Amino acid sequence: MLWLGGCATLPDDIAADRARAKAGGPATAADRGAPALAERNRVLVDYRQAATALRAGNFDEARTRLDDAILRIGGIITNDAEAARARGLFAAESTKPFIGEPYERVMAYYYRGILYWRDGQPDNARACFRSGQVIDSEPGQNGYSADYVLLDYLDGFASVKLQADGADAWARAQTRAGESKTLPAYDPAANVLVFAEFGYGPRKIAAGEYGEKLRFQTQDSPSRSARLLLDEGRLVVPLPAYDDLGFQATTRGGRVMDHILGNKAFFKAGADTAGNVALAGAVVASEQARRRERRGKDGDDAEAAAIGLGIIGLISKVAAAATQTQADTRQWDNLPQRLSFAAVKLPPGEHRGRLEFLDREGHVLASRAQTVAISVPADGRDAVVFLSELKR
Amino acid sequence: MNSSSRLLAAGLLAGAAFFSGCATTAGVQNPCGVAVTEMRPDERGFVAGTGIESQDMVAVTDKMARSILGIAPIARAQVPPSIVLEPVVNNTRFPINKDIFLTRLRTQLNSKAMGQVSFLDREMMKTLERERELKRSGQVTSSSDPRPVEFGGADYFLTGKLDGMTTRTSQGTSDYVLYSFRLTDARTSRIVWEDSAEIKKQGLEDAAYR
Repeated sequence: MLWLGGCATLPDDIAADRARAKAGGPATAADRGAPALAERNRVLVDYRQAATALRAGNFDEARTRLDDAILRIGGIITNDAEAARARGLFAAESTKPFIGEPYERVMAYYYRGILYWRDGQPDNARACFRSGQVIDSEPGQNGYSADYVLLDYLDGFASVKLQADGADAWARAQTRAGESKTLPAYDPAANVLVFAEFGYGPRKIAAGEYGEKLRFQTQDSPSRSARLLLDEGRLVVPLPAYDDLGFQATTRGGRVMDHILGNKAFFKAGADTAGNVALAGAVVASEQARRRERRGKDGDDAEAAAIGLGIIGLISKVAAAATQTQADTRQWDNLPQRLSFAAVKLPPGEHRGRLEFLDREGHVLASRAQTVAISVPADGRDAVVFLSELKR
Repeated sequence: MNSSSRLLAAGLLAGAAFFSGCATTAGVQNPCGVAVTEMRPDERGFVAGTGIESQDMVAVTDKMARSILGIAPIARAQVPPSIVLEPVVNNTRFPINKDIFLTRLRTQLNSKAMGQVSFLDREMMKTLERERELKRSGQVTSSSDPRPVEFGGADYFLTGKLDGMTTRTSQGTSDYVLYSFRLTDARTSRIVWEDSAEIKKQGLEDAAYR
């Protein structure tokens, strides 16, 4: 017990979130505005606070947070002691420094790309969109190639803005969008870039007998698309959903870490079974020793066997209990579900409008509508507008 | 050995095994951290990725500076030619601070060229124009007649481009970056010099992140 107590891992933050939500408190760390956690969670905190800052229009804060995160997720992590420990039997996957699953890392680059564009650096924005697409690609797993529509579309649009050819990227984006959606042709004169997002993103859950399987679930948002009404409704800008993070989270193929967790679960099950068998054997041997002693015979051998089996059983049970099989369910919990984009040409000056979200049938979800103000600069620079259904 | 002794020995053994597993820093490399190490900027650090890093920038700008100074229009010019630096275009997948390339290239050229070239500060144009207007309007003093146009025109434009190619397989990620710079004659639009450097890096991350 003492040993198990000493080895107890930190409480699972997701379970704690759920308990708080049940008690009527704020559901997520982002809701709580929680202070910085351990260094291993630094990127997670950066992610959450960057999204919150973006939605609040605090772009400097968002930029700082995303740069800090990208500094850590942008490299190749090798020879990391904590990562090595997370692969071991007796440490949970969540002890490794968090960088997130590919859909989370992609979003860090996506948001940073928006901010680069806002700062008048479309080539760096394009670099971010390209990095996102590379992160989403899964080599060696057929059918799990990079498939974000917007990343390719924006790659091409940035190229067009830089007087380069965006045709290839547009064609790739159109292929990924499928036949049901026709992507708008690039308009180099468009000076207002509208990035919109709606719905709540995927949630991670630990499935399997020992929680060793990382699974994702998304509560499909009623907001299926959006539209921006400007200049008293004279201009309607459609904002269809081009990408769905729920789909992206669940269609990337397996992880190497899943294999490792599977091995841990196999060991845990084996050790537990061995412990059960050994303890049962110890009981039988002990009974045998007592029976022999009652008959006046030497029961030392049976007693020794009972003790030996008992120790083996205890060690096995403790090893099974100590094996940490849980998949890492730390998550960027304030991501959106759907991503959209539109580019329009507006005269310089202030434009007021209304952002409406539409359901599957195209009906306006009136309670979700927002008022929007867009300031188009006169110096020819693009106005980058970020619109989110999410509050934080 | 009687059964009590055996039990005691086994218990001690199991206890030792358990507690060794619980040592908080067992298997942790550098539990106390790594002291700050001063490194040369052209040296590969222990924090690395396949992207554009300081050692790449140093190697590339050093090579370009040496290359530019050797060309005839610069080396044999009667009057030091005036050069304007244009922003580098980033076509890679790595967001970068683009100014840093040109800043280092300019400082390298200025320190090594010994007056062979001069650079025009176009970043300061708005400030300079405002100052000139203040002088012309008499709001501030001037040591010379402020009316003539004395802002220098460019003889050459120096710019660069970064292109990249990424390969990702189950064996790892590989990134190739081509750094190309060129000097264009402002009068004729001829490219009078062009050079490039290429760097390829690859790596495979820890299985915990794959």
